[in-house]
Amino acid sequence: MKKCHITFQLNGSLREILVDPNQTLVRMLREDLGLTGTKNGCGEGDCGSCTVLLDDEPINSCLVLAAQVDGHKVTTIEGLADGDKLHPLQTSFIENGAIQCGFCTPGMILSAKALLEQQPNPSELDIRTAISGNLCRCTGYQKIVESIKAAANNCQGES
Amino acid sequence: MIMQKFDYQAPADLKEACQIMANYGDKAKLLAGGTDLLIALKKNRISPSQVVALDQVDEIKGLWSDDDGIYLGARTTAAEIADSDFGAAGQALAEAAAQVGSPLVRNLATVGGNLVTAMPAADMAPPLLVMQAGVVLEKLGDNREIALDDFFVGPGEQVMLPEEIMSLIFLPELPSGSGSAFEKLGVRKALERSIVSVAALITLADDGKTIQEARIALGAVAPTPMLAATAGAGLCGKKATKKNFSAAAKTTAQEARPRGLRTSAVYSRLMVEQLTMRALTRAYAAASR
Repeated sequence: MKKCHITFQLNGSLREILVDPNQTLVRMLREDLGLTGTKNGCGEGDCGSCTVLLDDEPINSCLVLAAQVDGHKVTTIEGLADGDKLHPLQTSFIENGAIQCGFCTPGMILSAKALLEQQPNPSELDIRTAISGNLCRCTGYQKIVESIKAAANNCQGES
Repeated sequence: MIMQKFDYQAPADLKEACQIMANYGDKAKLLAGGTDLLIALKKNRISPSQVVALDQVDEIKGLWSDDDGIYLGARTTAAEIADSDFGAAGQALAEAAAQVGSPLVRNLATVGGNLVTAMPAADMAPPLLVMQAGVVLEKLGDNREIALDDFFVGPGEQVMLPEEIMSLIFLPELPSGSGSAFEKLGVRKALERSIVSVAALITLADDGKTIQEARIALGAVAPTPMLAATAGAGLCGKKATKKNFSAAAKTTAQEARPRGLRTSAVYSRLMVEQLTMRALTRAYAAASR
């Protein structure tokens, strides 16, 4: 099993790494690069806790081989804050009580970020559809939806 | 980490991919969206020595068209298809693509993968069947095109040779006055394998009322996605009325061959009838636009 040499953009900086061909993206992020914000849940693309942005699109990182991100851009939850300044979605999740156990939160926020970039003013249905691949087993969906709505309104206010 | 060991190859173009598949045959597995392949690897359902990623094979990505019809690269994602405009005639395909898995899955899953895995419930198969799609299968120095209707063999089985790669899906130009629609039944709206799915396509004659051609295809109610040929043919030459649609929906339910695995066969047939009625009604509306 020959290791793969890959170069990719991770949270804004270029990374070069040797990975095993059978390494998944989620495990490379967590175990090889120490970025444990991305959670490893079902491993089958059903729960969305491993959501990351691949070239700005949200995907299940448990269904992607690490070698496949060669030449691409990956954004994890760690890439959202600007130093100590949290991303508006992160602030909104905290202020609106959208975080219970927190396991789904990184995925929820990344799916929401991708939505707001395409649709700065989404309807409630748009929001619910955008997070339909992200399961919250605390079932705190209402607060999550409200947080995304509030973040959208805040971003609109700023621009 | 996946427990199995394999080598990873990422050919730069289709020719190189065909060369690798010619060398390794059934020891190699193609990786497109990965939404099925990675799960199969994790669960040890397959054990290839080579995983061949098609990420860099740009020739089989995206959509383009000429006078004959639309060419759909097999590596095109469900999300890209859901966002594409296929006109009234191809509306069913965009609708089906928009209901695959979840937004996260749709950004990965490809139309080629949806067909090659040959699941009876594959969402994009019924629309492609009613659109009379053909698929192009490439191997080193050769290729063949076969009708999608002749592609599926059984659950998880299709006609491809181990060394073949699906490169394109061809959608012939449909006559003006054509419209299509897709209906899917599941117990939830996302991350759901269809219990029943139906695609319908209607081509209206110049009078806007007579059905010149009609095709109905079903998912999840037979060992493969299937055309309900008798019901479709029975509508030809008839007027587009509720009564005729209802009769066609009944015939479609009889043509379905549910195995009663996920729901009872009786329920499946009842739902086929309901969903066919809805699909025909919406296909007619699309054809009338």
